[in-house]
Amino acid sequence: MNTVLNISPGPHTRDRWTTPFIMRMVILALLPAAVMGVAVNGVNALLIILSSVITAVVTEYLFDRICHKPNTVLDGSAVITGLMLALMLPPSSPLYVPVLGSLFAILVAKCCFGGLGKNFINPALAGRCFLLISFSNTVTTFAVDGVSAATPLSELKAGRAVNITQMFLGTSNGVIGSSILALLIGGLALWAFGIIHGEICFSILISFTVFLALFGGQGPDPKFLLAHLCGGGVVMGAFFMATDYTTSPVSRMGQVVYGVLIGVLGAMFRVFGGAADSFSYSIIIANLVVPLIDLFLVPKPYAYRSAAIAARSGNERKTLRERIPVPVLVLAVITLASGVALSGVYTMTKDEIEEQKLAASAASYLEVCPGAQTFEKDEKMDQVIADQNGEVYGSGFGRVHINSAVIGKDSSGNTVGYVISVTSSDGYDGDITLSLGLSPEGAVNGISFTQLNETPGMGMRCAEPEFKDQFAGRTVPAFLLNKEGSASSEDEIDSVSGASTTSGAVVNAVNAGLDFFRTNMKGGE
Amino acid sequence: MAKHTFRGGVHPKEWKELSRDVPLCEVNPKGEMVFLLAQHIGKPAKAIVKKNDTVLVGQIIAQADGFVSANIACSCSGTVKAIEKRRTVSGAMSECIVVENDGEYRKTEGFGEREELSKISGEEILKRIQEAGIVGLGGAGFPTHVKLAPKDPSAIRYLIANGAECEPYLTCNDQLMRRKAQEIIEGIEVMLRLFPGAEGVVAIEKNKPEAIAAMEQAASGNDRIRVLGLPAKYPQGGERSLIQVIAGVDYPVTMLPADIGCIVENVGTIYAIQRAVLYREPLYSHVMTVTGDAVKNPGNFIVRDGTSFASLLEMAGGLREGVKLKKALAGGPMMGVALSTLQVPVQKNNNALTILSFDENEKAQQQMTACLRCGRCTTVCPMGLMPQMMAAAAQSKDWERYEKKLYGLECISCGSCTFICPAKRPLTQVFKQAKAEIMALKRAKAGGAK
Repeated sequence: MNTVLNISPGPHTRDRWTTPFIMRMVILALLPAAVMGVAVNGVNALLIILSSVITAVVTEYLFDRICHKPNTVLDGSAVITGLMLALMLPPSSPLYVPVLGSLFAILVAKCCFGGLGKNFINPALAGRCFLLISFSNTVTTFAVDGVSAATPLSELKAGRAVNITQMFLGTSNGVIGSSILALLIGGLALWAFGIIHGEICFSILISFTVFLALFGGQGPDPKFLLAHLCGGGVVMGAFFMATDYTTSPVSRMGQVVYGVLIGVLGAMFRVFGGAADSFSYSIIIANLVVPLIDLFLVPKPYAYRSAAIAARSGNERKTLRERIPVPVLVLAVITLASGVALSGVYTMTKDEIEEQKLAASAASYLEVCPGAQTFEKDEKMDQVIADQNGEVYGSGFGRVHINSAVIGKDSSGNTVGYVISVTSSDGYDGDITLSLGLSPEGAVNGISFTQLNETPGMGMRCAEPEFKDQFAGRTVPAFLLNKEGSASSEDEIDSVSGASTTSGAVVNAVNAGLDFFRTNMKGGE
Repeated sequence: MAKHTFRGGVHPKEWKELSRDVPLCEVNPKGEMVFLLAQHIGKPAKAIVKKNDTVLVGQIIAQADGFVSANIACSCSGTVKAIEKRRTVSGAMSECIVVENDGEYRKTEGFGEREELSKISGEEILKRIQEAGIVGLGGAGFPTHVKLAPKDPSAIRYLIANGAECEPYLTCNDQLMRRKAQEIIEGIEVMLRLFPGAEGVVAIEKNKPEAIAAMEQAASGNDRIRVLGLPAKYPQGGERSLIQVIAGVDYPVTMLPADIGCIVENVGTIYAIQRAVLYREPLYSHVMTVTGDAVKNPGNFIVRDGTSFASLLEMAGGLREGVKLKKALAGGPMMGVALSTLQVPVQKNNNALTILSFDENEKAQQQMTACLRCGRCTTVCPMGLMPQMMAAAAQSKDWERYEKKLYGLECISCGSCTFICPAKRPLTQVFKQAKAEIMALKRAKAGGAK
């Protein structure tokens, strides 16, 4: 009994939750999305996830060994980083992409800044942004069965209809972890277990939705808002990225400010910006603001809150100022002001942009319909186009839309030709829009591009006479693409070598225009 | 104005079932009894006996030195063996009166005769409490006669009897309330005489239904006293937590509960007050829980001050067979003090001996990781502080931010943040050190200014 017992300062009991336990819960919460991603996208998705996770773990282990630090791999945070990074990659990525991304995320964004709890930006997001900059084509190209395709978000950006059910289930084009349903299951479970802060995820979702409803240009249209919420990693970001403990504020008030900042920035990028990956950037920007939030937004202890002081002094009535938290007001004003300013700039420049577009199309109309003095619209044709309702035109032309059709007339009012503007979304990099000029008899006068953002030296060569002049002067029901470059018959077009995707999209667009002409214009005269 | 509960708090495993239904049992130890002179907040008492003096049960052997100090009564009869430095609960060597117990427990004259409350004046009440050497038995050991003499007694709105007992393992207050409900209510009635405008509130956590029932029955005849059941949550029994719930407002560390019209007394203290005022009995014994997984017969005992913790363990049947003693705590696992040896004497403000075969602190040290910034500590802090930021400020010794921006001195050292921390960081421990360091700096500054 005289042995000296263990002594230590109190408390002498601890909660059962440990760091590895929390990390395991997060991994579990990410699993539904990973499983869904593999189920939808096949074995390549599994390989991407595995290579990303293994790289993350091995990198952290080696870093700890080389730097003679205690081994921190077992806490599981490296697994989370690898898993989250993989879920944000397209299933068609080659395996070096997740490996390099994970390496950057763990080595540069995490370990070099002191490891767990010290990194200033979310490592997985840092890895993703590194990949976005280094391999922008690979990381933002989504191929289905070897054919590149647009994501629902880019469709949405182009003002077209998207299938929200598909987006919700994660069966549409997108990253591996694009199943909103699976992400929501995991995210809400984490919130219910008290692992992530509702202050962050819900303030993001609410502010994002409110901003889009106010300034998105379509009002509080639930379909539009839902499509935006389901696309572009908003759910992934709100529940898994922004809620990363290390890079989010500690105080509740700070968390709300941080969440609103992400939501508003993300929505602003959506409405006024270009990149579909803007949500990653908005979280990273907010990450950088966290140290400031933590420094200044420190809540007062209960004993010093105005209500407590008022109650002590016997005066329990609160003034309006005390009832509405000042930071919320300030933030709301800043948000509104920036929103109004941006939408103002957009509205002012919108007409100018439209005029420039008009001028460009007028020039291209003239190019393919020489001799025309004026271009007139035809009510019937406009109606047909309107009836398409943003859906893909016809079948067999890929994802093609008819934008407009006009009749070219000379100074005395005689019809000298027709121009049809067609957009194909099957290009290698974004939409291809061209004007197809036809003679009154139905012969192709020529084609002219108003939108072509293909790879220089490859797809861009479609705009060169060598390719595009092949169409001129021919009268055929439809053209065929000859990939060998050995076109012989009247209806064959030689592909630009090495750019069969772009060439094919152009040929399909022309064919769609011809089809539209045959069914809606020629007979209608 | 009353709220459901305070904000924050944690739910450690209670372990109260070990001892809660074991009835009170009085034990008279043999051998030497050691009476520490500094058992309370304030100046240590001055010994008024000499070596070889004969002493009796209830005899004052050390007298309060000044107003904020307390008398010390002997709990046995026998002869004074020595007045010397002995190891105490805090681990330090401290001046003690050592009495060789003759085991006869002869009492002083006129001891234990009941008087009617109506015949005792307010002044007399305070005098008797002071003479009895009563201090807060909940843990702090603040002299009760000081607490019961606020500047303006008529401004006291709530007299709170603290029977919350939120500390895990502890059941001594539970047992006391179940067995001595009438006495406690009488104790409250004694105090209510001092505060004409006050309402007596007995605050008990709802995990003690028998105690609530017993107290409700005992209080049924007095409409100035009500019993309030509170949700079981640590630190519900903290003075500031109780006041947040009952008065609906928190107050800073620079104020006293009396400044916002509240007086909080532990039910054990109230029982002692009843004995002191109605029976003129000084405080020489109180109820303690002896519990823990390594104890053979956990239970609650009426323990005489000065008994050694080792004989407390013997009273409870000693260690269970085949179990190795790893950790002994004076108190419960949240607020208790780890003992390096059981050969230390029981003080007035000790409420339990918890004997464990495991050491969670040791395990926590092995599990420690870097701070995740998960914010759990901030959600459980019952004072609304930011422990994560306080720890960071303390680490960089940024005392300005620690004190002014983060209000670090408001920390009540309840341990909730350390308990909940998944990274197992020693937060409360850091805050105790930080507080000591800031106070030392302040003293140095004040000294330098002279």
